[in-house]
Amino acid sequence: MTRIAYLSTFAALGLALAVWLLSQPPRGPDATGGSDELLVYSTTDEKEFAPIVEDFRTLHPDIAVEYVELDAAPLLDRFLAERAVGQPAADLLLSTAMDLQAKLVNDGYAAPHDSPSAQAIPEWARWRNEAFGITFEPAVMVYNTHAMSGRPLPKSRRALLEAIRGDPEFWRGSVGTYDITSSSVGYLLASQDDRLSSEFSALLKAFGDVGVRVEDNSSTLLQMLDRGQLKVGYNLLGSYARGLVEQGAPLAIVYPGDYTLAVLRTAVIPRDAPHPRSAHLFLEYLLSIRGQRLLETRTGLSAIREEVAQETGRFGLSQAEIGLLRPITLGPGLLVYLDSQKRRRLLANWTSLVSTPAD
Amino acid sequence: MGNRTVSLRLRLAGTMALLFLAGTVALYVAAYAYARTAADRSYDRLLAGSALSIAETLVVSEGSTEVDVPYAALDMLSAAPDDRVFYRVFDSAGQTVTGYGDLPRFLRRGRTTRAGLDVAQARGDVEPVTEFFDADYRGEETRFVVLGRRVAEPGRRDAIWVQVGQTRLARQALTDQLVVRAVLPIAVMTGLALGLVWFGIGRALKPLEVIGRDLTRREPGDLRPVIAPVPAEVAPLIEAINGFMSRLDTSIRSLRAFVGEAAHQMRTPLAALRAQAQLAAEDDPEQLRRSIESIERNAARLTRLLNQMLSDATVGHRSAERRFERIDLLDVVREAVHEAFPHQQRDSFTVQTDLEAAPFEGDPLMLAESIKNLIENALHHGSGDLQIGVETSGPDYVILVADRGPGIDAADRQRVFERFYRGSGPSRGAGLGLAIVRQAVESHRGRIELGDRPGGGLLVRIELPRSAE
Repeated sequence: MTRIAYLSTFAALGLALAVWLLSQPPRGPDATGGSDELLVYSTTDEKEFAPIVEDFRTLHPDIAVEYVELDAAPLLDRFLAERAVGQPAADLLLSTAMDLQAKLVNDGYAAPHDSPSAQAIPEWARWRNEAFGITFEPAVMVYNTHAMSGRPLPKSRRALLEAIRGDPEFWRGSVGTYDITSSSVGYLLASQDDRLSSEFSALLKAFGDVGVRVEDNSSTLLQMLDRGQLKVGYNLLGSYARGLVEQGAPLAIVYPGDYTLAVLRTAVIPRDAPHPRSAHLFLEYLLSIRGQRLLETRTGLSAIREEVAQETGRFGLSQAEIGLLRPITLGPGLLVYLDSQKRRRLLANWTSLVSTPAD
Repeated sequence: MGNRTVSLRLRLAGTMALLFLAGTVALYVAAYAYARTAADRSYDRLLAGSALSIAETLVVSEGSTEVDVPYAALDMLSAAPDDRVFYRVFDSAGQTVTGYGDLPRFLRRGRTTRAGLDVAQARGDVEPVTEFFDADYRGEETRFVVLGRRVAEPGRRDAIWVQVGQTRLARQALTDQLVVRAVLPIAVMTGLALGLVWFGIGRALKPLEVIGRDLTRREPGDLRPVIAPVPAEVAPLIEAINGFMSRLDTSIRSLRAFVGEAAHQMRTPLAALRAQAQLAAEDDPEQLRRSIESIERNAARLTRLLNQMLSDATVGHRSAERRFERIDLLDVVREAVHEAFPHQQRDSFTVQTDLEAAPFEGDPLMLAESIKNLIENALHHGSGDLQIGVETSGPDYVILVADRGPGIDAADRQRVFERFYRGSGPSRGAGLGLAIVRQAVESHRGRIELGDRPGGGLLVRIELPRSAE
C-alpha cells in the first residue's frame, strides 16, 4: 500500500468519527431564537411574585413579561387545551401541584434546561433537568393564639388528634384544611400524608367528627384563622402564614414534629414554548443566586438553594423546632396518586371521613 | 537513489494501526451488545418488580377490576433518576383499567397482538407470562415489561395484564459506561503498542545508520569487513556486503599483481634491446649484425607478450559480454590454425575430423584466440608432429591439441592455468596462454584437461557442451 493510501484511510476514519460525534444531538437549552415576550402561567399570587418579575425586567428590559395567575388544575387544563388546538402560548409553567408538573414531564411535554445553576439545586428538587423546584415550602399547622387561650399547642399529628378527641366541643367548627377535591396542592399533601402517616385516617375522622371547614386555598383559611373563625389550620403552606405573622397577626406556626412535608413550587418549560429564549432566561434567573435571594427576602416564599437558605437560616428557625422535614421529591413516584383508580379511592375515602356525620 | 518504497516504520505501524482499529471496532460492537444485554438484565429486574408489585394489588370482583398502584411501584424506578415511567393495566379485551391507555402493544414475530395474549392463548390457558420488549413511545425508546395475572374468579378463564415501561436513559448510560470500561484499556494499550512499534523500529534499524556512516567515511581502498552489532534479520545483508568486499579486494590484489608482473616481463626485453642498441653503435660489422638479430629476437618476444596481454584482455572483456552467435566450430578451428601457423607449414596442415560441420553457439573470436594460443604453445615447446582434432563425445564437442614437446609435470598441471605462471621447464612464454584458454573455455561452460600424449608430448583436451543450455 502506498503512503497516500494509508493517509487517506486514516483521514476517512477520522472523518467518520467526526461525523458520528457531530450527529450526536446537542444538549442544553437552545440559546438562540430571539424573542422579547414571556408568558408565565403560575399558581403563585401575582402580588407575591411581583418583585421577582420586576427584578427580572431590570436585567432583561427587552423582555415583556405577562404573568397569568391560575389554580393548578385550570392551569394544566388551559395549557393542554391550547396545545391541543395547536396554539401553545405558555412559556413557563409554575405550579405547587408537583404531581401535575411531574406528569407533564413524564408525558414528554417539557423541554430540558441545563446550566450550573440548575445543577446547584438539590437532586430531589429536580427531575430529568425538565422540572425544577424553585422554592421550598413546608406544610404546617397554624393556630390562632387568642382562640387557643393558653392551651398548649399540639405539636404533632398525634397530639392534635388526641386534643380533638379529648375535647371535641372546643374544636367544633374551628378546624380548617384544604378541600382536596378542588385544591391540587391540598390533594398532593393529602396523598403524601396517606402514604406516610398511619394516623392520617384517624385524624381525618376526628376532623369530620368536629365539622371541619374545607376551603380551596390557603389565603381564605388564613383569613379565617386571623379573624378567629378557626382555631387551627392543617397542612397550610407556611410561606403565606409567615407573612401574616410578621404583620402581627395572632397566629402561631407549628411544624409537625412527626414529620413536616415541604412542597416545591415547580417550574417547567413546555417543549413547544413560543418564546424559549426568554423562558430559559427566566428559569435561569429563578434558579440563580440573585433570583433565589430575592425569593427568600422580598417574597414570603423560601429559596430552594441551600446556600441562599442558609444565609437567613431556614424560616428563621433552628432544625430542632422544625423536626423531620420531608420535602416531596420530584420523580415518577408522584404519578402514583394521579392514577385514576387511586385518586378516586383517596377522594372517596377523604370525603367520607371528613363529612360531618348526619345528625 | 535506488528504488524507495514506503518506509518500513510507516508500513509496519500503519498495518498494525489498521489491524488494531479493526480489532477495536469489533471489540466495541461485541462489548456494546454484551453491555446492552447486561444493562437490560439489571434494570429489567427492577421493571419486573414494579409490574409485579402493581399486579399484586389486583382485585377482581363482580367483573370490575380494582388496582391500587403502590407508591413504591413507580418510586422504585427512580433508581434510574432521569427516566420517564409509564404503566397500564388492562384486561383480555384490551380495555384499559388504569394508566396510559396508548402504550404500545407487545410485538411478537412481527405481528401486533395484545400484549402477551397470543402467548397465553396459544397455550390454551392464561398462565402468567412475563415479556420484555423495546418500543418507541412518546418520542423516546422505551423498555416495557408486560405480565399477566390469572383472574381468580370461579367460572371465568381470564387474565389481567400489567404493563410497565421505562425510558432507556439509565440503561444507555450503564451500557456506555460498561463499553468504555471494556474498550478504553484496549484502546490505550493499542496506542502504547503503536508508539512502541514506532520507536522500536527506529531503535532496531539504528545499526544500519551506523554502518552507512562508517562506509561513507571510509577511504576508497579500505575494504576491511564491516563490523557492527546488527539484528539477526539484517546480518545476511552485512555478510553479503562483507563477502562482496572481500572478493573485490582479491580481484584488486590480483589486478595489481598482474600489472606488476606485466611491467616486470616487459622490462627484461626492453633492457636487452637497449643493451644491444648500445653495442650496435660500435663499428664492428659482425657485432652490428649480432645485435640486430638479438634486437629482432627481443622485439618478437615483446610482441608475443603484448599479443598475449591483448588476447587476455579481449577474452576477459568478451567473456563478460557473452556475445554468442551461431558458428561452425570447424571453421573457427581451421581459421585459427591458418592464422597461427607460419607460412611454410600452413598449407600442409590439416585438422583431423570426421565431422562435416560442427554447429555451435559461441563467441568465434574467443574460441579462435584460445586455439591460437594452444597452437603457439605447441609450436613453441614441441618439435614437429602437431595434431589437432575435432570430434563429438556424448553431448560435447571435443577439441584435441597434441604435440611432441616435453609435456607438463602432473604437479604443475593445475598451476599452469594461473597468469604469469611459467612451468619449471625451460620456457620463453609469458605465462598467459593457458590462462586465456581456460577463461574462454569456461565462459562456454566447457572443461579443459592436460594429459600425456601416448609416445611422449602434451595432450590438451577441450570439451564444449553442444547445447547452449
